[in-house]
Amino acid sequence: MAKQSPIITQDDVYAARIFLYSALPLLRVIAESEEKYGKKFAGKSFVFQVSAKYSEAEGGAMGTHFVVEDGNWTVNVGKLHENPDVEFIFPNLRDFNIFFSGKGMPLPKIKGWGKLGILVSILMTLLRMAGLLQCKDVPQKLEDQIMLVKLYFYLLPSGISQLNKLGYPEFKAFTEPSPDRAYAFAVSGYPELQSWLRIKAGNSKAGRGEYKRCRPFLTMRWDSPQHALDILMSKAEMIPYIEQGFLNIEGAPEFGGALGNLMFGVAYFAQGEYLDKLN
Amino acid sequence: MSLTKKEWARLEKKANDLRALTLQTTFWAGSGHIGGSFSSIDILTALYYKYLNFDPKNTDDPDRDRCVVSKGHIGIALASMFSDLGLIEKEELKTFNLTGSKLGMHLDSNKVKGLDASTGSLGHGSAMALGMALAARINKKTYKTYLLLGDGECDEGSVWEAAMATANFKASNLITFVDRNHNMIDGNTEDVMALEPFADKWTAFGFDVKVVNGHRFDELCEAIEYAQSAKTKPVCIICDTVKGAGVSYMAGNYKWHYGAIDEAKFNLANEDLANYLKQRLEVAEKEGK
Amino acid sequence: MAGGLVFTAVESTKLATAEIFGKTLCELGEKDPTIVALTADLAGSTKIGDFQKKFPDRFINVGIAEQNLYGISAGLAKCGLTPFASSFSVFASMRALDQVHTDICYQNLNVKIIGTHGGTSFGQAGSTHHAIEDFAIIRSLVNMTLICPADGIETGLAVKAAAATKGPFYIRINRGFDQTVYSTDDYDFEVGKAVEMCDGTDITIIACGSCVYQAVQAASILKNDYKISAKVLNMHTIKPIDREAVLKAVKETRRIVTVEDHTVIGGLGSAVAEVVVEGGKACAFRKLGLQDHFSAIGLHEDLMAMYEIDSEGIVKNVLEVMKADFEADEDWGDEV
Repeated sequence: MAKQSPIITQDDVYAARIFLYSALPLLRVIAESEEKYGKKFAGKSFVFQVSAKYSEAEGGAMGTHFVVEDGNWTVNVGKLHENPDVEFIFPNLRDFNIFFSGKGMPLPKIKGWGKLGILVSILMTLLRMAGLLQCKDVPQKLEDQIMLVKLYFYLLPSGISQLNKLGYPEFKAFTEPSPDRAYAFAVSGYPELQSWLRIKAGNSKAGRGEYKRCRPFLTMRWDSPQHALDILMSKAEMIPYIEQGFLNIEGAPEFGGALGNLMFGVAYFAQGEYLDKLN
Repeated sequence: MSLTKKEWARLEKKANDLRALTLQTTFWAGSGHIGGSFSSIDILTALYYKYLNFDPKNTDDPDRDRCVVSKGHIGIALASMFSDLGLIEKEELKTFNLTGSKLGMHLDSNKVKGLDASTGSLGHGSAMALGMALAARINKKTYKTYLLLGDGECDEGSVWEAAMATANFKASNLITFVDRNHNMIDGNTEDVMALEPFADKWTAFGFDVKVVNGHRFDELCEAIEYAQSAKTKPVCIICDTVKGAGVSYMAGNYKWHYGAIDEAKFNLANEDLANYLKQRLEVAEKEGK
Repeated sequence: MAGGLVFTAVESTKLATAEIFGKTLCELGEKDPTIVALTADLAGSTKIGDFQKKFPDRFINVGIAEQNLYGISAGLAKCGLTPFASSFSVFASMRALDQVHTDICYQNLNVKIIGTHGGTSFGQAGSTHHAIEDFAIIRSLVNMTLICPADGIETGLAVKAAAATKGPFYIRINRGFDQTVYSTDDYDFEVGKAVEMCDGTDITIIACGSCVYQAVQAASILKNDYKISAKVLNMHTIKPIDREAVLKAVKETRRIVTVEDHTVIGGLGSAVAEVVVEGGKACAFRKLGLQDHFSAIGLHEDLMAMYEIDSEGIVKNVLEVMKADFEADEDWGDEV
């Protein structure tokens, strides 16, 4: 019997936006940062796409696709490719969200069995990413910690920015009256672990690396990847960490609090909390 | 304690000298804060000529007693007294209030040697005196700090801020005098801004209060010696006085807070002061030991 | 959603500026037995409590009585002690002004006034707790030295300099959450000498206190986004002002913008303007600060943005001043 398609809510759209625009692009980060995964794609050229339907009408789907040419990745967020080599097609946004939030395993229809080698490599890389993003405890190995911090650092500003661009009211209320301000994430001694979010009059932009225009308005700077993950994965409270010097808020603490709220806002969708509320 | 006839008479003569010199300076200056000067001069005499550990030749001695005259408008009495103590040339008194003089209504502690504080803005002396008393504690010194307030000055809230703190810090090395001459610029204290029950106010603020006749050296000396022996509770000596004491046309008249003296008034005042001394010496002779 | 940080919980350990003041004072207290710390029921907020623990005999809390605070300080100084008396800037400069004026400045006493929560830094407390006139008032006092350090490190240096120099000082610091300007105290800090934060040829931004950081960031934005080369001077000492640095800035850049968390009347901008005018050289000039109105309630950072004394506000105003034509007073068209 064919499964009834769920009614798609605005929250589904917010969550899907984060996964397609902020989370999925991290696949490239894994492939480029970790040699083990990078070499699987060396010299390869293909197009990989993830898509989900939001309506039965023609073209009623949203997706993100990666163009890999000779092992080099380009990400096209929110754009559908007409003929990808490998594609994961979810029958609806809800299933797509359940799958990427780790709340369940509604498997997509997979296209591209003809390129089995590439499909397997993509699956392995996706599993690596999901394994990191969905792990419940802070990884033991430093290299895993660094990778996961990087993923969070890229995911969070991007997620915030995407929700803002989509008009998520709570975020809009914060960004619209804001002067030009940048919020940054960093871990001391790890220059590769930096990202930022610039906000100005309702606009937002997520960026990677050091914010160069001026010193950010506020920086959340941790003293180690471990301590960064403790906070990012909600394993510890911010205030004691600040008191112990594990986390330094460079800027007014009230704005650290405000940034924290934005981060929780992303987590609400990315970790599928909103799905729990639906039941 | 008991004040000997001889000592009492010595103080009376000194007080008379100071009144006369203050009158003289006022005459030279043409006018001055003479009323409040005359109500305070006996208190100043007891302090500077009997109790203060104060050597005019060593005014920077860190161990000296301090004295803050918070009612700074009696600069004319203070200048006359410091002149008597040898700290100001007599000739200099003639320049009082004149342009370019180092002496004026409110004395400058950076210009008058031996003067412990520049006062004039009323209500300031209390806190400064308390600071000096607390400094004795910090610097492990045994000196005392004496504070002379005017009664009208006690309208200022800062007097009571300092009073509260003096009791709180148990600064019994600070001895407070109030010249209770009952008058201020606009009239009687009770008409302008009632102070009574005045002694109760000081008691309520944590002081051991002594009310004395501020023109009787026996009472003043007894109260001072009592205050000097205080261990924790600071003492406030309310000195009942007469504004313009000793001069017939000034005594008890608030209008003589500040006044001008012409030659006739000057001569009359001098006569009055001579009689005043005579009467007071008789009391000293009769009641002194 | 989880709540944000509650600043009171962090206050105890993270008040960078005031914390360094407290630490520096303790350090000085070790070496100099004349140093006494005083407060008016703000030992915690003004970070003077650290000193209290270490030197209880040299610590005085006068309760909520600022007049008493500065009067007592004068008395202590008269007896050879070096009082550091801290209160909120708004009370130090106004509630106790008569004492500061007469007891301390007139007698030229060695009292060091630490005004905390300067400018609008106590944001949400509103105008009753904002000190936006203290520069104007304190600057006019004879014998007084007025310093507004850029951050915690500079506060430490200012406190040390004050302890080493006889006479009244007023050091205005903030609530303490400002971003840091200096990472080390190894730079030329001298009372009365401006610090050049970056050199530039198009315009000079002269700032003090928390506005120094904003000015430095503005210079970075001006360079990156607009190719404008801005010189930034940290004018930490407002009195005596560094005349030489101001005149050099006029000569070199011919355009000056001053930035202060204070009313534009009588403060840093006015002090700089006096030097500029007396210098006799034409100069495009603008004062940033509160434009003769009381401050609003809000977070300090937002208030700074509102009054255009944050980096973006400075950039906006610099761009306008860059367009200013200061020879437009004459008609240079040929008569035909």
